[in-house]
Amino acid sequence: MVEGISLSRRRALFGAAGLAGAGVVGATAAACSDDPKPISASAPRGLVPFHGARQAGITTDAQDRLAFAAFDVSAGTTREALRDLLVGWSAAAARMAAGQPVADDDAAPQAPPRDTGEAVGLTAGNLTITFGVGPSLFDGRFGLAARRPAALTEIPPLPRDNLDPLRSDGDLCIQACADDPQVAFHAVRNLRRLAQGAAVLRWFQLGFGRTSTTSDSQDTPRNLMGFKDGTNNIKREDAASLDTHVWVGADGDQAWMRGGTYVVTRRIRMLLESWDRDYLRDQENVFGRVKRSGAPLGAAAEFDDVPLTAKDASGELVVPEDAHIRLAAPATNNGVTILRRGYSYTDGVNQETGQLDAGLFFIAFQRDPRTGFLPIQRRLATQDALNEYIQHTSSAVFAIPPGVRDDRDFWASGLFAT
Amino acid sequence: MRRAPVAYSAIAVVIATGAVACGGSDAGGSDSGATAAKQNVTITLTSKGCSPDKSSIAAGPTTFKVVNKDAGAVTEAELMNGDTILGEKENIAPGLSGTFSLNVKAGKYQLYCPGGSGPEKVDFTVTTAVAGTAAATQSPEVTTALKTATTGYATYVRQQVAELVTNTAAFVTAVKAGDLEQASKLYAAPRLNYERIEPVAESFGDLDPAIDARADDAPDPATWTGFHRLEKAIFADHSLDGTGTIADQLNTDVGKLNTLVAKTTFQPAQIANGATELLNEVGQSKITGEEERYSKLDLFDVQGNVDGADKAFTLLEPALKSLDPTLATKVRTQFTAMYKALEPYKRGTGYVSYDTVTQDQRRALSQAVDALAEPLSQVAGIVVS
Repeated sequence: MVEGISLSRRRALFGAAGLAGAGVVGATAAACSDDPKPISASAPRGLVPFHGARQAGITTDAQDRLAFAAFDVSAGTTREALRDLLVGWSAAAARMAAGQPVADDDAAPQAPPRDTGEAVGLTAGNLTITFGVGPSLFDGRFGLAARRPAALTEIPPLPRDNLDPLRSDGDLCIQACADDPQVAFHAVRNLRRLAQGAAVLRWFQLGFGRTSTTSDSQDTPRNLMGFKDGTNNIKREDAASLDTHVWVGADGDQAWMRGGTYVVTRRIRMLLESWDRDYLRDQENVFGRVKRSGAPLGAAAEFDDVPLTAKDASGELVVPEDAHIRLAAPATNNGVTILRRGYSYTDGVNQETGQLDAGLFFIAFQRDPRTGFLPIQRRLATQDALNEYIQHTSSAVFAIPPGVRDDRDFWASGLFAT
Repeated sequence: MRRAPVAYSAIAVVIATGAVACGGSDAGGSDSGATAAKQNVTITLTSKGCSPDKSSIAAGPTTFKVVNKDAGAVTEAELMNGDTILGEKENIAPGLSGTFSLNVKAGKYQLYCPGGSGPEKVDFTVTTAVAGTAAATQSPEVTTALKTATTGYATYVRQQVAELVTNTAAFVTAVKAGDLEQASKLYAAPRLNYERIEPVAESFGDLDPAIDARADDAPDPATWTGFHRLEKAIFADHSLDGTGTIADQLNTDVGKLNTLVAKTTFQPAQIANGATELLNEVGQSKITGEEERYSKLDLFDVQGNVDGADKAFTLLEPALKSLDPTLATKVRTQFTAMYKALEPYKRGTGYVSYDTVTQDQRRALSQAVDALAEPLSQVAGIVVS
């Protein structure tokens, strides 16, 4: 079973490699294969279709920049007002994804412009805006308790957690990704403005560089520790793995979530000052990869199989027992894998220590966090050699509903269906 | 106080640039919304005063171009309706030109280019719009309601400043008598009056800094005057030594304000934008605890700002209810929520000391202010017509 999944993934990966040159267009079409309107073939460069069976920003080729925001619905907001917010948000997001301002501002000199304006003149930069709802939305406030999917469960405290509650959780989330940081920021800023009176910003994280690749056509980027991470990510070309590990299928317990997924976010601070003082061989042992080439230890090239059982002349495992790559590998996690889509972040200087506040804003999509992120992280948190150099400082989980079908539909409309 | 006050009479100039900055409606960046004005009037500044290229136009969006070829003594042009400045362009020295844009309604106006040797004002007529241009027609009820709002607001401002004069005088007397305890008790009352009408005071140039500057607003500590200088003496230094001249100066400055507001008139959009400014004040300097850092009376100031904004909105509400009832309801709902958010901190006629308000509580107050200010900022565009 374990090897079966692993094999099929690898075949898909290499099978698609030859198509890498076909570029973005074909690739997007594959990702939206069950979209009733495959717009991608004719979509202009730099635009990712907003409408479709699934939300963009999950299997979309990871863009360079991130703006991720969590919101709390304001006290006193009714179910009707919440629905109105999502209708308004969906319309505004569709416009922004199409490279337009949130509203056409007719020159009303005494009124503030409805769009804040900083994205005027910029291309959309493959902007995707992805929406989700947190477990707290299903408390008593909106009569939605019966619609809470079993998979949408608060992430329990995990070993070594050092979480800041003000940077964790939330009723709603918006993930805006684009190749231009100003475009991504503009999207969150304007949705936040539209929400005034109905929802407040709870936390907001900017990411300046992608740390994973979601397509065979993309190179594997490096994280702030200088290593290639996410080499064995699920790629959008691998439809079978996506169906198995990412998308909620027809067997989902809540009809409104079918075609959706779940996202877990963790702000993982890297203790970069200590890391930079660690000697190269140890850094490589921590990850289980060669720093320069990205090849697994004991292998020749980045995409070679990880030699999990190989031993050196003295009988030691080539990829150490506590190496990150070993503990995170599907092969050592009963075949479980998750789609990672994280970004490097920095929030400047930690005022207490004077050290860098920087690291990885980890984002992972899966069909059920209870069988995806949770068991993997439980294991990593107790065994991973990387733990010496990282600290999880925030945590959140959100249900990502299926896509907005067309301009009459809106985010999570199924949640409100009677 | 604000760091960059915008004069009331300068609103039209702000608009002209705003329209350019917000224009684009597509990703390609073409600036489709930039040209609202459909007609132009060129006003040449001469040594005598204004020389417009036409003395009559049709109602509608209009750009006024102000050109100065060689008039050394005349450097600005204003479009006025009686005592009210509707739009202006200042600092047009010889060789320069500039524009301001307005959506002008039918009526009798005057062009005013101060400093010339000729007649002070030139008549300027705006006729009813020709078909196809976008002059909004207002129902007589709305026109009446807005007129009531503008006169009502002028009355409110004068009344608040009159109280400010009285309350400041009492406070100043205590300061000059060296009575620390009495001065600390009398400090709050004039603050409330002032905070209610602060954007109006800000429109008079140096007066607001003289009355309301915080320590870090004063370029030189030796020239720091006003309420907060005395606040520091009372609540931080616990000594009134050497504050006599500052107290006298405060009395004089408040008196000047009283004289100025007696002549000031307001437009509906100014009143609405002033209300938004009051809430911006709350969000920028009160929530942070900067404003009353020695007395910790910040929530008292918040009350003043919210009062002033509420008064402005309440006066505009009847007109807004016919023009945009949804927005009227939205703003009123958020005012109610704002008062509810302040409620737990009330103690008698005042508020708890701001240093007892926790970070989380400050955040919640700030969110209530934002939730109110956002819909409130939409009101000006509706009542301007």
